[in-house]
Amino acid sequence: MKAKIIDYLTDVCLSYTVVSVSGVIIDHFCGTQINNFNIMLMFIICIIATAVLHMHNFFSEVSPLAMMFLQYIATCILCAAVVLVLSIFEGLPTLKGWLDLFRSFTIPYIILALLYYYKVFADTKKQNDIIHEIQSK
Amino acid sequence: MKLNLYEDKNNKDEHVDVYYSQMRPAIKQIIDTVSADRPSLSGRPADEDQDDGFEVILDPKDIYYMDFVDRKLFAYTKDGVFRLSNTLSNCEEMLWNYGFVRVSKSNLINIYKIKQLKPDVNMKVYASFDNGDRICINRSYKKSFNEYLLKMRSVE
Repeated sequence: MKAKIIDYLTDVCLSYTVVSVSGVIIDHFCGTQINNFNIMLMFIICIIATAVLHMHNFFSEVSPLAMMFLQYIATCILCAAVVLVLSIFEGLPTLKGWLDLFRSFTIPYIILALLYYYKVFADTKKQNDIIHEIQSK
Repeated sequence: MKLNLYEDKNNKDEHVDVYYSQMRPAIKQIIDTVSADRPSLSGRPADEDQDDGFEVILDPKDIYYMDFVDRKLFAYTKDGVFRLSNTLSNCEEMLWNYGFVRVSKSNLINIYKIKQLKPDVNMKVYASFDNGDRICINRSYKKSFNEYLLKMRSVE
């Protein structure tokens, strides 16, 4: 259990670092500026997304593609719920705000899903080679 | 592998010498056979029409995979399906040296019988066998499956 918590916290730190550094780079080149609220929101989304992704064991009976889709939907719903709760202090986001929120989450998610897809095929090819090597011994 | 057999009616010290360049699963299996440690599985045909009441001895190398369904363990071979009296975990422990690896809660597959591993569009990876059957490699077992392959490759 302790190892799982450490794994989870490590993944949260890693994902938040990647997201925040990417945000800083995008800001630098696009001339935009992230406010403190958005930084906090990014951190909360990282916590939620990492928690949902860490639950992959519960989806071991379904295909990885279905698992990704279900996890994406779950994360979107949880993020929307958090934004609605935070809107008590900051006010409801505009339609563009909602779209930006989901777009900024969806794009990296799709990129990572594609990378995973590629990894499945690459790993299988490698395993095939090893099996043929063992069979020829 | 070259095989020499010498028949000597007067021999009182029967023995086997194995010359090998590298210890590998095939050599280990020969050692097990000579040491009488080679595991054998007994089962009865799953098809009741073929079941004559006698148990059949199965050679692990003839088994494609094992499937645990409704608390019964079945072994799939080229000659048919046999119901085994063993448990899946017992077979896993007994046959790990013979290329058998667990790929899901209910399946143990023989890597020597795998024709190809192939991922589906939905990213599930299947092991296909010569008899046309396919067994899904569960994601939870992917890591241990990979470790097993690496271990089998580097057996010395």
